[in-house]
Amino acid sequence: MYESSCFHRGKGDITLKRLREPLCILLLVFFLQSCAGWVKNTDYHPFDAAKLDKLTVGKSTVVQVTEMLGAPSTIVKLSNGNAYIYRRSLSKGTGLWLLIVSFGNYEKRYDQVVIFFDKKNIMTHYGVTLDAHKAAYELP
Amino acid sequence: MTGCISYRVIKAVEGRSVPNTYEEFRVGTTTLQKALQTLGAPDQVAELEGKDVLIYQQSLLANSGLSFGIPLTDIWGPGFSFSAYGELVRYDLVFLSFTPDGILSEIVIEKGSRYPYLKTMFSEVKE
Repeated sequence: MYESSCFHRGKGDITLKRLREPLCILLLVFFLQSCAGWVKNTDYHPFDAAKLDKLTVGKSTVVQVTEMLGAPSTIVKLSNGNAYIYRRSLSKGTGLWLLIVSFGNYEKRYDQVVIFFDKKNIMTHYGVTLDAHKAAYELP
Repeated sequence: MTGCISYRVIKAVEGRSVPNTYEEFRVGTTTLQKALQTLGAPDQVAELEGKDVLIYQQSLLANSGLSFGIPLTDIWGPGFSFSAYGELVRYDLVFLSFTPDGILSEIVIEKGSRYPYLKTMFSEVKE
């Protein structure tokens, strides 16, 4: 009958017994030295969907938009007017330290609203991306 | 042991991956409104030579490092240490340029994520 060499009672078995204790100590040290951590930014707050629904192309003005959404993150001058950029970010990070090896992962995603105004400060176009909720805790 | 040898791997992603829907865009016909409806809000907006530019991008950072040292400063002045690290930032990017009338005049696409980390790190820089 076939018998695996791992279970054969002989020289190998004695070697395994000798190694068991040092291996256990090594594993214990390995896990006691290990550490994991998570980070997340706390200043994120999402856009109010009800307010975004009130944006009307050809009607909404700069004054109305800023009353609804507040001050923009950035204003960019364009060929035919301006673009108001509203940006909010959500970041999540994960770290894992295993004795001599360490892993880190960081993910940053954005909710963004970009509103285009003509030279009369009337909204001509707008684009919305709501992606911040997809930021995740992961390992590389 | 941690003072003697350590290895780290760090990955960072910023922004969303740009959807492939830009492939249906055509220079001379696609409008600014169509681009905003399809791709959403751009990551950057700028004016360039009288044209309005929208940039959609995702950055992917990969960093790894190995350090090895024998701390002998307490018992024997000089110590020995060796460290090596590499960092690579790749960009997936879609650049759209529009005329003042809002018609697409140029589209540029860069897919940095197609370059694998290790192969890129060890490849020779071509001038």
